[in-house]
Amino acid sequence: MSGIQKSFFGVKVLRGVDFDLDYGEVHVLLGENGAGKSTLTKILCGAYRADAGSLALSGALVDLASHTPKRAEDLGIVTVYQNFHLLPHLSVGENLALGRFVRERGFIRWPVVNDRAREALARVGLDLDPQIRVAELSVSQKQLLEIAIALSKNAKILIMDEPTAALSRKETEGLFRTIADIKARGIGVLYISHKLEEVKEVGDRITVLRDGQKIATLDGKEADLKEVIALMIGKGLAPSEKGAGRRALRPAFEARGLRNETFAKALSFAVGEGEILGVTGLVGSGKTELARALFGIEPLEEGTFYLDGEEVRLRSPRMAVGLGLGYLSEDRDVDGLCLNMGVKENVSLALLAKLRGLFFSVAAERRTAGELVSSIGLKIAGLSQQVKYLSGGNKQKVVFGKWLSAGCRLLILDEPTMGIDVGARGDIYGLIRRFVEGGERSVVFISSDVDEILEIADRILVMAGHEVVAELDPRATTKQEVLQQASRLGAARGTA
Amino acid sequence: MTELVAMERGQRARAASGLRGLLRNQAISMLLILIALWVVLAFLSPFFFTVDNLFEITLQTAVIAIIGAGMTFVILAGGIDLSVGSVFACSAVAGGLVFTASHSLALGLLATAAAGALFGLANGLLITVLRVPPFIGTLGMMGIARGLALILVNGVPIYGLERYKFLGQGKILNVIPVPTVIVLVIFVLGFLILNYTRFGRFTYATGSNAEAARLSGIDVRRIQIGIYGICGLLTGVASTIEAGRLGIVQPAGGNGYELLAIGAVIIGGASTFGGEGSVVATLIGAIIVTTIRNGLNILGVNAFWQYVVNGLVIIGAVAADQFRRRR
Repeated sequence: MSGIQKSFFGVKVLRGVDFDLDYGEVHVLLGENGAGKSTLTKILCGAYRADAGSLALSGALVDLASHTPKRAEDLGIVTVYQNFHLLPHLSVGENLALGRFVRERGFIRWPVVNDRAREALARVGLDLDPQIRVAELSVSQKQLLEIAIALSKNAKILIMDEPTAALSRKETEGLFRTIADIKARGIGVLYISHKLEEVKEVGDRITVLRDGQKIATLDGKEADLKEVIALMIGKGLAPSEKGAGRRALRPAFEARGLRNETFAKALSFAVGEGEILGVTGLVGSGKTELARALFGIEPLEEGTFYLDGEEVRLRSPRMAVGLGLGYLSEDRDVDGLCLNMGVKENVSLALLAKLRGLFFSVAAERRTAGELVSSIGLKIAGLSQQVKYLSGGNKQKVVFGKWLSAGCRLLILDEPTMGIDVGARGDIYGLIRRFVEGGERSVVFISSDVDEILEIADRILVMAGHEVVAELDPRATTKQEVLQQASRLGAARGTA
Repeated sequence: MTELVAMERGQRARAASGLRGLLRNQAISMLLILIALWVVLAFLSPFFFTVDNLFEITLQTAVIAIIGAGMTFVILAGGIDLSVGSVFACSAVAGGLVFTASHSLALGLLATAAAGALFGLANGLLITVLRVPPFIGTLGMMGIARGLALILVNGVPIYGLERYKFLGQGKILNVIPVPTVIVLVIFVLGFLILNYTRFGRFTYATGSNAEAARLSGIDVRRIQIGIYGICGLLTGVASTIEAGRLGIVQPAGGNGYELLAIGAVIIGGASTFGGEGSVVATLIGAIIVTTIRNGLNILGVNAFWQYVVNGLVIIGAVAADQFRRRR
């Protein structure tokens, strides 16, 4: 691809980008949100039309003006979707064969369909019964199935957009082995990710985009992480201030003997005043379930909660909000935001839920929202701008703002930086640190990104198999140890 | 303030203001369509722009507008109420019976409103406690309320409701029709509730994203029961106006009113997915629906065709809305 240009509504998103991909290599595209990564790949796979530029495949020029998703697929350019375009109620085999069923006199020949499905699954290292329903697969199995589907379309170029976003470390390693196989078969992989470390691991070459321009192409093995980040954001990253040994003295919130369908073995822990308690573990270790139990979403069979040493009733999200808890969910679009409502309306929602009385002051709401927006550095066009038009980072700040304005004292954050670019990530960390600064408010920070946990948490709980398996001090532990603890029980179960 | 809230990204902001502009235009464009409709009808028939006929339109609008106000709450919260036509008949019959037995107008009207509200609350409980989808729950209630209306009076209309008449035919200071005053009061209240009360804000939030609303500490079930209650109550109120206009109550009355009321809300520009819309837009929508009906009458179009036209207008409005969203 060379000289690719594209504008939306008069705003230049790509300003003449050159990009090349060899067969049998993994070429990583890096850049902050809005740098033009997605736009470039969408032009490649025919979803967007380029304003200018050319595309050549194996030396033959492709007409970009009439490039469509269908034609891209015919040429062997296939995208592996990150948001799982699978039909959950159909079987694995049906999903693989969709639209290309082997038929005989109008009837589907199931044995052939299933055999082919098995072959396709074997190619990505999945040992699955093709008749199993997709809904029963784990996230990583679905991800591999997506790749199998893409490969079955005779792909020559595979586009992977954040394929590891929902995967644990171990699953990611499995995926990388599959990618190595794909490479060995001479397929070129265009790989997009926010996780810089894995980029170095998987990428043969790395191209950095910024503001719609190609900044540099580096050799994946030689690239220096700090240098890459600097290229991405165009300035040196502020050194992270590590939690300066704040050890909480008094427990602000305590959960004792939590038990329910997920947590067969009772779970207890405390969060200190001004403490950031990190919770980490692999996908499926029970982190999200823990957050949901704490916030009164998942019912408990047993368990008591204490706030400042006094037992409190916490059986519904409404009670949790009333007690001063806040919850940033894993997926802010699904259960964090009212997308077609304004910024102002979203940030005042939890506060209004806590208030009493029939009427509320619209003027006070506007004033509070305005102050909040400037204090958390939210970039918006206006207080009434619909939230759905904001970037991931700004959306997350809106959810954060909602709990700040509600006077929340314990925030439960579930993967708060997932899908958020490096710059906005720093902002979120800053907000979290400021939140606990006075020593009165506390945070439960849940993340499967161990580096992140090590950097921000004052104390770390490691979960595995729906249990807390270790409590670690981030200043006295290593990434290695955390990962070992996290996979301990999982491995034991795997062999059982 | 304006310096602090800097523009995020040209493209996003522009898309946002473009869409907001369109949304604002939706109410305005509906008003323009209404005016165009009037002009066309005035050319087609000399009877259209007569005092009598405009008076008639106002009266006909009142009933649909009041049910539509209730329906606005329901649709804003992401629900739907198909039972309003039957609830209309049943609450009118219940109130009529109380009135004939007690000879107290106040009791009769109170009973009508209460019956409507009870049906609405029942809808709300079906949907929140039994978790029946709104479409099915209110469809069932549509059958129940219609059946009860017919059973209560054995299928025979209630006559002799002369004292109801000021509601439908009275004029304040000999100029302003009573139904118009009731409509204005209800719409001002509706506007205030939706824009200045917590309940109103929570109604929007529930329709926009019920799960996010629940996790923000809002009692979503209470909101849902409330909005169906309001819809039922207003349906009852609307039925007293029609009873006053006709002087009788029919157990078969209100037939097809769900179509008209939902049409008024949708034509006004509310999103069928919830979270977007306003009572003011519904009022314009109700006037459009009534004008079309009235126009067809005046032009001598077979009354049966009115159902067809109403259906087409609703489908057209939603299709236009979907088209607008895709862009």
